[in-house]
Amino acid sequence: MLARVANNLFWMGRYIERSEHIARYLNVNYFSSLDAPNQKSQNRQFVLRSMMFMVGNPVNDEDQVLNEADILYKIGLDPNYSFSILNNVKYARENANSARDLISTELYEAINKFYHFVINYPAEVYVKNGLHDFTNNITEMTAVLRGKIRGTLLHDATYATILMGVNIERATQITRMINAKYNDALMAQGSYGDKFSKSFEWTTLLKCAESYDMMRRYYKKAPTSISTLEFLILNPNCPRSVMNALNQVNEHVKVLNPEKRYNKDSTAFLIGRVRSEYEFKYIEEIENDIKSFIENILNSLDKISNKVDAEFFNY
Amino acid sequence: MANIESQIFASYLRNPDLYDELYNREGKISEVYQKLFNLYGEHSISDYINLNSKAKSSFFNQGITFQVYDDKTVQEKIFPFDLFPRIIDANEWEIIEQGSIQRSKALNLFLWDIYHDKKILKDKIVPLDLITSSANYLDQMNGIDPPGGIYNHISGTDIIKHKDGQYYVLEDNIRCPSGVSYVICNRTALKKALFGVFNHYKTHAVTNYAENLLDLLETVKPNGVDVPNCVVITPGMYNSAFYEHSYLAKTMGVELVEGRDLFVENDFVYMKTIKGPEKVDVIYRRIDDQFIDPLEFKPDSSLGVPGLFAAYKKGNVTLANAPGTGVADDKAVYTYMPQIIKYYLNEEPILNNVHTYHCSRPDELKYVLENIQELVIKPVDEAGGYGISIGNRLTTDEIAEVRKVIKDNPRKYVAQPIMSLSVHPTYIDETESFEQRHVDLRTFTVLGKDKEFVLKGGLTRVALKRGNLIVNSSQGGGSKDTWVLKK
Repeated sequence: MLARVANNLFWMGRYIERSEHIARYLNVNYFSSLDAPNQKSQNRQFVLRSMMFMVGNPVNDEDQVLNEADILYKIGLDPNYSFSILNNVKYARENANSARDLISTELYEAINKFYHFVINYPAEVYVKNGLHDFTNNITEMTAVLRGKIRGTLLHDATYATILMGVNIERATQITRMINAKYNDALMAQGSYGDKFSKSFEWTTLLKCAESYDMMRRYYKKAPTSISTLEFLILNPNCPRSVMNALNQVNEHVKVLNPEKRYNKDSTAFLIGRVRSEYEFKYIEEIENDIKSFIENILNSLDKISNKVDAEFFNY
Repeated sequence: MANIESQIFASYLRNPDLYDELYNREGKISEVYQKLFNLYGEHSISDYINLNSKAKSSFFNQGITFQVYDDKTVQEKIFPFDLFPRIIDANEWEIIEQGSIQRSKALNLFLWDIYHDKKILKDKIVPLDLITSSANYLDQMNGIDPPGGIYNHISGTDIIKHKDGQYYVLEDNIRCPSGVSYVICNRTALKKALFGVFNHYKTHAVTNYAENLLDLLETVKPNGVDVPNCVVITPGMYNSAFYEHSYLAKTMGVELVEGRDLFVENDFVYMKTIKGPEKVDVIYRRIDDQFIDPLEFKPDSSLGVPGLFAAYKKGNVTLANAPGTGVADDKAVYTYMPQIIKYYLNEEPILNNVHTYHCSRPDELKYVLENIQELVIKPVDEAGGYGISIGNRLTTDEIAEVRKVIKDNPRKYVAQPIMSLSVHPTYIDETESFEQRHVDLRTFTVLGKDKEFVLKGGLTRVALKRGNLIVNSSQGGGSKDTWVLKK
């Protein structure tokens, strides 16, 4: 596989995954706030700020009043805002275009349909009453794409490269969501005696990660700060957890680097190292200093991505 | 049984001055179209409108698109596709196929000759200055022996059916002819939309192009290579034919590379893969001569590969088509095709050539300047239908302008009688009905070492604007599925 094309595939995977998480974050936060149990979580300004925080563009001015239609448009369909879902989908398709000869006709067609759906979605409908329809379609179409990736590509280096992108992005987005909701839980506490550990925001976080049902099944209890974080960070069987994503990256890099003993400067070595760090962690360690955990894991994921780039894409 | 009055063709207007392929000389539906005509007659026009819009959105979803450039914007468009296929019966096809092969072979021998002994020039069959003054003649190719002795591996021959019912070649495209992927898409689209009609005809499949192309590329591998590593090189995803480049690479199962993916070391070509460098032996290039190697040609080209031409010269890599083939698909050389075929093959041309006036010859220049109204004026070295003037469409002022342009640079222009391209029933969106539109045919010929192949189908291009004779996609042309019937 050409190094340039591998780079395109890696980023195609990342952008597909990213658009899914942003879309679900918008959907879940907006709709769960409508009947949230406390005033703070119900407050529209609070929700809009959380959305901006999640896409990496926090609004720091506390007095600034955000306009709902503006924020939704910006994150959803604004062609001039590089973090928008529209742009993520555009980038995903551009990357797919450059690798068009390598991916299956079925996968390409699904990406292309996805792209046409997004660029043709009327903005006025979206900001007025189309939020659910739009974001729901995005998450469903990304699920179709995942199915096409798994089911219509040879499970070789091409596949491994795409899935490395998908999983690095998933771990990154889940961590960003944890960060955003952790922040929300801190801010929302105390409004009506709402405790941080039992905050409504943990349920929202699980739903944003599409993991609420799995979590309830696993713990059989209402989510708390500690069980939510444990589930989304450390549980290897939760397909949305950081641990699960790291395990997958670790498997896929073996296809690109089949050596038995890794050179200490290789990507595979770095991935193995980061993965083992979390494999032998317990949640209390993380919970004590969630800020450092978040900084640390985002930093590690960034390092992995850069290393992949240097080792495989930049011959 | 449906009759001529059937709904779908009820409003079909026939211009008696045009040659309509649907009808025979007696003015009845021609035999090969009879069944198709009846079958389409069973549909109402609203069925047809529906099928047409479905076919369109399927092209969009599959991303079978090209880009149109105007001053500022790039627009993504589909290549308009018509659901009424063109049928060519086995006997007529035989002529087209043999004629296409004959021309490809003759052009190949001609190219070898002008880059080696130049016998045809010494024998004064083709004037020397016609070659040396051609913008597409490459001095660098003199004395180079391309692997397998092949220059024009892939040829696209543009053929029309004239009023007299005869086929004429309008031009040979032996640089980077495109369009073959549309032949295959059109077939796929028509099969999906109107599968029933295929039951009534024995039509040759068109999906075997890629395997023949790969076979060809393997026959011209460099000396000493056992299993050649073949690639397709593209200018990139913003090129208007990018869909085709990716289609061909995908169906051949080879890498689609850009210039920046390749490098040359010690006169061998390598591509940059995730596992390091991998040697490349045969390159099907879809980049024009001037851009393939900045060290040898256009120095500011970023599309090509520095050192590629040196590797080619050493015989370490094959380029298909060979550099410098453009000199032979020049519209001025075209006019010598009957002589070229006779000179090298000692055969009569199977396909007709259109009579051509050379503005470089004073007597012919005089005729051209006096009869512009009845002629088509073409620049000799432009592709894509650009720069063509059709005499009977010009105003007096425009004629004066064209006269001046020709006089300023007579070598650049040739003129031909206005050929009347045959017409074919074509569905027109704006009027929601079938109308006559001019069509041509591009055949695709593959020539290798001891290998020749013509795709049994070809691209029927339609000029969608009423009365228009220019069928190129960049000028608002569409296309039709083309059926070659089995014997």
